Amino acid sequence: MEFSRRNFIKFAVGGLGGTLLSPLPWKLMDDIAIWTQNWSWVPVPAKGKFSTISSVCTLCSGACGIQVRKVGNRAVMIEGSNEYPVNQGGICPLGMAGLQILYNEGIRWKAPVKRVGPRGSKRWKEISWAEAIGELATRIKGLRDTGSPEKLAAIDGNQSRSTMALLVKRLLDAVGSPNYMVMPREEDTFAMATFLMQGGKGPTAFDLENSDFIVSFGCGLFDGWGAPGRMLSAWGEWARSRNKTSIIQIDPRASNTASKADQWLAPFPGTEAALALGIAHVIIKERLYNREFIQNHTLGFTDWFDAQGIKHKGFSRIVLEKYSPQNVAGITGIGRSIITEVARKFASAKAPIALAGRGKGSLPGSLYESMAVHALNALTGRVNRKGGVLIPDDLPLASWSDVEYDPVAMAGLTKERVDRAGTPRYPFTGSLIQKFTEAINSGHDSPIDTLLLCSANPAHTIPDSQNFIDAMAKIPFIVSFSPFMDETSMMADLILPDHTHLEKMVDIVWPTGIQYPLYALSQPVVPPLYRTKHSGDVIISLAKGIGGAVAGSFQWAHFEEALKARVRGLYDSGKGRITHNESEPVWKGLATGGSVSSPYSSFKTMWEDIKEHGCWYIPFHSFGNWSDVFHTQSKKFEFFSTKIEMALKAYSKEKSLDDAISQLGIGSRGDEVYMPHYEEIRSSANEKEYPLLLHPVELINLASGWIGNPPFLNKTLFDHQLRKDDLFVELNPRTASRYGLKEGSKAIVSSPKGELRVRVHLFDGAMPDVIFIPVGLGHTAYDKYLKGKGVNPHEIIDPVEDPLSGQPVWWNTRVKVARI
Amino acid sequence: MKKEDSTQGTRYGMVIDLDTCTGCGVCSVACASENNVSVLYDESDKTRNITWMQIYMVTNGKGFPKTEVGYIPRPCMQCDNPPCVPVCPPTATRRDPNTGIVSQIYTRCIGCRYCMAACPYHARSFNWFDPSFPEGMDRYLSPEVSPRMRGVVEKCSFCHHRLMRAKAKAYADGRRDLKEDEYIPACVEACPTKAITFGDLNNPKHTVYALIKSPDAFRLLERLDTEPKVYYRSTKDWVRRMADNYLAGEFKGRG
Amino acid sequence: MDLALIPNGVQRCSLKAFVPWLLLWLLIVAWGLLSAFLVLFKGLNQTNMNHYFAFGLWIVFDLSVIALGAGAFFTGFLTYIIGKEELTAIINAAVVIGFICYSAAIAMLGIDIGQPLRGWFIFWHANVHSMLTEVSFCITVYLGVLTIEYLPLILSNRKLNEVREFNIFGSNLHHAVALFAAAGTFLSFFHQGSLGGMFGVLFARPFAFREGFSIWPWTFFLFILSSIAAGPSFTLLCVWIVQKVTGKELVKRSVFTMLAKISGWLLATYVILKIVDTISWVYGVVPRAGLSFMDFYEGTYGVWLIIAEIGIFGIIPAIILITPRLRERNGLLITGALMNITGIVLNRFVFTIQTLAVPVMPFDKFMSYFPTWQEWGIAIGSIGYGILVFSLSYRYLPLFPQEAELNPVTVLGKAVTDSGVVKRG
Ligand SMILES: Nc1nc2c(c(=O)[nH]1)N[C@H]1C(S)=C(S)[C@@H](COP(=O)(O)OP(=O)(O)OC[C@H]3O[C@@H](n4cnc5c(=O)[nH]c(N)nc54)[C@H](O)[C@@H]3O)O[C@H]1N2
Ligand SMILES: Nc1nc2c(c(=O)[nH]1)N[C@H]1C(S)=C(S)[C@@H](COP(=O)(O)OP(=O)(O)OC[C@H]3O[C@@H](n4cnc5c(=O)[nH]c(N)nc54)[C@H](O)[C@@H]3O)O[C@H]1N2
Ligand code: SF4
Ligand code: SF4
Ligand code: SF4
Ligand code: SF4
Ligand code: SF4
Ligand SMILES: [Mo]
Repeated sequence: MEFSRRNFIKFAVGGLGGTLLSPLPWKLMDDIAIWTQNWSWVPVPAKGKFSTISSVCTLCSGACGIQVRKVGNRAVMIEGSNEYPVNQGGICPLGMAGLQILYNEGIRWKAPVKRVGPRGSKRWKEISWAEAIGELATRIKGLRDTGSPEKLAAIDGNQSRSTMALLVKRLLDAVGSPNYMVMPREEDTFAMATFLMQGGKGPTAFDLENSDFIVSFGCGLFDGWGAPGRMLSAWGEWARSRNKTSIIQIDPRASNTASKADQWLAPFPGTEAALALGIAHVIIKERLYNREFIQNHTLGFTDWFDAQGIKHKGFSRIVLEKYSPQNVAGITGIGRSIITEVARKFASAKAPIALAGRGKGSLPGSLYESMAVHALNALTGRVNRKGGVLIPDDLPLASWSDVEYDPVAMAGLTKERVDRAGTPRYPFTGSLIQKFTEAINSGHDSPIDTLLLCSANPAHTIPDSQNFIDAMAKIPFIVSFSPFMDETSMMADLILPDHTHLEKMVDIVWPTGIQYPLYALSQPVVPPLYRTKHSGDVIISLAKGIGGAVAGSFQWAHFEEALKARVRGLYDSGKGRITHNESEPVWKGLATGGSVSSPYSSFKTMWEDIKEHGCWYIPFHSFGNWSDVFHTQSKKFEFFSTKIEMALKAYSKEKSLDDAISQLGIGSRGDEVYMPHYEEIRSSANEKEYPLLLHPVELINLASGWIGNPPFLNKTLFDHQLRKDDLFVELNPRTASRYGLKEGSKAIVSSPKGELRVRVHLFDGAMPDVIFIPVGLGHTAYDKYLKGKGVNPHEIIDPVEDPLSGQPVWWNTRVKVARI
Repeated sequence: MKKEDSTQGTRYGMVIDLDTCTGCGVCSVACASENNVSVLYDESDKTRNITWMQIYMVTNGKGFPKTEVGYIPRPCMQCDNPPCVPVCPPTATRRDPNTGIVSQIYTRCIGCRYCMAACPYHARSFNWFDPSFPEGMDRYLSPEVSPRMRGVVEKCSFCHHRLMRAKAKAYADGRRDLKEDEYIPACVEACPTKAITFGDLNNPKHTVYALIKSPDAFRLLERLDTEPKVYYRSTKDWVRRMADNYLAGEFKGRG
Repeated sequence: MDLALIPNGVQRCSLKAFVPWLLLWLLIVAWGLLSAFLVLFKGLNQTNMNHYFAFGLWIVFDLSVIALGAGAFFTGFLTYIIGKEELTAIINAAVVIGFICYSAAIAMLGIDIGQPLRGWFIFWHANVHSMLTEVSFCITVYLGVLTIEYLPLILSNRKLNEVREFNIFGSNLHHAVALFAAAGTFLSFFHQGSLGGMFGVLFARPFAFREGFSIWPWTFFLFILSSIAAGPSFTLLCVWIVQKVTGKELVKRSVFTMLAKISGWLLATYVILKIVDTISWVYGVVPRAGLSFMDFYEGTYGVWLIIAEIGIFGIIPAIILITPRLRERNGLLITGALMNITGIVLNRFVFTIQTLAVPVMPFDKFMSYFPTWQEWGIAIGSIGYGILVFSLSYRYLPLFPQEAELNPVTVLGKAVTDSGVVKRG
């Protein structure tokens, strides 16, 4: 055929027609569509055998029972366990997002590492566990060899009663350092208050489910307070029940708890104690208090004479003189009639209970305030009564054998703590990280050589965090046990990464606030993903590496053995229950009391059951005689704390009593010093320059402790809380308009400590002149899903010392705001 | 559009008690975890991120200190008269007459987003991006639900795979009907305050049957005739007022 | 150089002038292609559309160009079915404009969907209830019709026409033109209506929802009416622009007058019905949804939109175009046509964007949207594409039958043309 243009065109047209009629294009079209349904970059979850494993969430000390669904070796879903007494099926959003903590490669340390570049350079070298533990052991041995074991310090965020915490404390004891510090919590403040008024150091328990009237002085009951899983379940129960428990929420902001409550009162932040005493005033004046309890089981209610024959003013007199509703209205901003009405309701309820605290309770509270609130429980005789504040017997866990102290340790332990906690200056406080950092920052050389950090991220989570960061820079050697690349571990020299909560066995001894003794035990849900090591095992190996008496104090082969040694006590008590039936909540049975004998005939079978069910508990409370429950000098509930009196006597040995009182930060004088009273806590900042208050807010769907917020929780934040990287502060529209701020305006909030760049959300529920700021964001470490999002209020908190306790007051920093 | 007969057969639905709901977000997280919902670096962009169970915050509009906040969790309403279904050109979404569940077939969807324009509840999300999971997190993905590809719409399925799971089990046991507690979506099961009740709205033996007949029950945008099968419950007038649009004087509170 | 391709009896600018002109529009097309590439490879995150604005600039553009492209079918309808002989003067141009509009619209739709490679599912798994299915079917088939209408025109290029098969094919097709015009009219009526129906059926979007007749909401009919009102104006405007650019008279003034008159009366009818529709919406759909008129207008999307759409760009052009005295004046004629088009584009914009901006749930917010450069790129790129295709068509095809008559060719032109004959081998 001749090749001509015409033929070419014919050929082309024919070819095109032919191809279109052939199956080829259609097949291609179909194949391409199928390709879009199977893109290789869309993950394909691996199949496998389905199974369920139960464990306990230990991301907070709320200890919720969980059921984890697995496919093959992978955990794919966490759910609350219905068969667990604490949470009855509910868990909090953080626990629900737990798999994003386990599997987030971007935030985890995958092996022990050593810093190779300068601090903060993020240059690390992976090393072997033997090398890592060996290096630390050598360092500690070196401190002991030079006779300065006290130069070892630890900051521990493990629940204070847990086996992990005991183990860390034991290491410091055996080495010979008194410098063991825990991250302070509200729980500690309330425990201090009950210690001063009731004696005894056991956990404080609140029988909320059996109460019919709760006055919460700031506790975010449904915003993450206490054991959050338990609280949310309890709220569900209350919301549905006919004989609803009444709740009065005292809060400067329309929090979720405030909105769910029957009544919301918003006193000026920091005046809660005055409000409590105003309520006490009405109760006393109208003689609504429990006369039997007050007369027989309390000290210092009415005027009294002590052994020296000195006359003391009674609590009732002081309250009647100073806290009339009129006065209190002036202090708190709450109307007189409201105070009277609340007092009457409180006193006439069958089982009222008053709670002190702020938000989630993960930061320290105010001591006198806790005492003032607890005084209301005493006035109504709600101590150790059904639906009241219980004074429980501790769990019958076995004690370990005594620590072997060698001479080096004994000498070291006689040294004063760097934070001066427990000294006559801070007689009742267990640890004071603020004072610790101050001591380090004020001296030329750091009194601490080696700092261990366990389950804590103080560089981010403590008020005035920059101060802590400065202190870290001066400490020669920092060791972090964190599984996460958090702010604190990024500044460490040696990282000994722990497993995450789903990879290890740990315990929570008596979850925060629950009203019966419970021992919670988690079990590994998946085998460790990386070359991490249980911190309990690391500490035991470390002690062995240090050798001598230190090794002698840690004779267990591994952590589980140490833990079992304690749990044996539960078996030996012959009591307790392990399984739970969701239709019989424990709190319902509390009233009946009695004793539960354990059905186990060997420790081994009981241990297996505890591992499987995750708990051991005693489902009743003995509402013993009031005469047995108070461990004070007077064997009574003390409105006048003889413990404070003794402590002040000790402190004032070399100075006048007045000097001693004022050095303890106490503003009042006379008998009030020893009693619950209202102390105005004033920041030193100039009110003219800094006209507003900064009030950090804790949200249930924003992790604010040492755990970084998982991405799923970011999903639940509103775009008026976080937008791109901007955190919003809440401002009352009236206050905002005074500064020319509108919804979404960018602004700078500054305190004498520094400034934060934020955006403004106008919120009617915010108290005027107070800036509310969520806590938990503003990370400078972790991965891109967290780092750089929002700001951290702790950076600009300008804490004052809480009188007597010495803890930082973090809720009333004076600030100013300016539009950008 | 002709409405489906909604009185016959099984019609799964839920009742969310807004007086009980504390806005904790557990349902939302549970849903994301159960259904392999992808995670963006910037989750604050609510116009682009994916959340099948979206929680809305509302306030009573009163000034301090009379302000009250509340929350409205919003899954797909599984409308009996779904505006999203008839509009879908390639039939990628359908209302199952046997369950009332509005399905979504990701591999069929062409991503035209017409259904999103149709749904007034913003219950549908488009995958603007390739699905992303932070490094290592693909390890928690569940094989029961396939992750979605870029360019398609997704939404709450009432945890369809759980229905499949329950049915498979029932069939294995030689049963055709499911018991009330056999098929429960993840969000319902997870809600720590038990604010959500789930079941067959047509089955007098199921709790939801009575709940939706209560005068406290209402639905979102009821007057638009979408016939949602997600009901809400609240005794508070200001909350009930939030559920729909009313002309002045039209809303009759319950006092 | 390209003289051999230029139709007999007409004069075109030199290639030297034409090439830069092409390059300018090619550059704009390149912007569009780059945008399309980014969108196809990276996904629709390249746009500013979101869960609220499920539709954006492209759908506004699609609806607009399809409405404006209505000049093609409507002119065909008037020419071949009604028998308005005068309109043969612009029918070719109308077909090319229609082809450009529809091909651009389909291409843009292909980019706009999240899964273009599955686009054909619309046909394979067709849901007959969906207005979008109807639209897809009709505009695809109608693009075929337009192609068939365009083809004889292409084949009548001087060089191509020399191929005998093409000559035969072309002239045979030409005989079937009336048939295609009829098919085109039917298809177009339907998809113009379905485009309106797309919004009118959104019964849970009170801003867009309309009652209607049988399965068709009123927007169905209003869209048809508005498209045939705007289409002729758009054709008129395009031809007028070509005249201005080429500096030649291409069709007689009487043709413009006729288009303007038709456009004007249709627009007047449309505006009246649109006002009736709006009033019945205000007193029907709106209060039934528990809303009031002002709930739909806020911020950028204020009441000015409806005033502009119906008042300024509806009533005024209608008056201009139906008033002989006014439309006789060239300036007013063009202003009227332009305003008419603007009003219809505004209408399409409002239905697409404002429908989605208006909150329906009481606790939702008013949203706003502005396209990214990629979205603009594709939209403006398709304008560039249109101008390219039209320029080439004008240069090489006998687009305007009256051109030769109105512009007698110079001797030089003829000579050059003759010398361009290529010898057959
Ligand atoms: N008991 C019970 N069984 C059923 C049914 C039922 O109703 N009940 N329904 C039946 C029906 S209708 C169907 S369609 C089937 C569905 O059954 P399957 O096809 O098995 O299930 P899918 O969940 O659709 O997804 C299959 C797998 O594909 C993976 N996948 C997702 N995207 C991709 C990709 O891009 N590439 C690759 N390679 N894999 C990908 C998913 O992660 C998932 O693991 O189940 C059938 N089986
Ligand atoms: N989230 C999510 N959604 C999905 C999917 C997914 O993987 N994830 N998958 C999608 C896919 S692939 C599919 S196929 C669909 C499945 O969605 P559907 O087709 O809705 O699947 P089924 O729920 O199994 O519905 C089948 C119904 O048929 C009834 N039936 C059973 N046998 C008979 C019979 O003999 N006659 C009649 N008349 N009825 C009968 C059953 O009772 C049941 O109600 O879901 C889609 N939706
Ligand atoms: S409340 Fe605490 S223990 Fe319970 S799920 Fe949440 S983080 Fe875990
Ligand atoms: S989980 Fe329950 S209480 Fe929490 S937001 Fe969801 S519905 Fe409300
Ligand atoms: S809520 Fe929206 S997506 Fe769900 S069925 Fe109704 S219209 Fe469809
Ligand atoms: S986006 Fe998908 S599901 Fe929605 S209408 Fe289009 S094809 Fe259907
Ligand atoms: S029903 Fe399932 S898919 Fe729907 S919101 Fe709840 S958990 Fe998510
Ligand atoms: Mo399927």
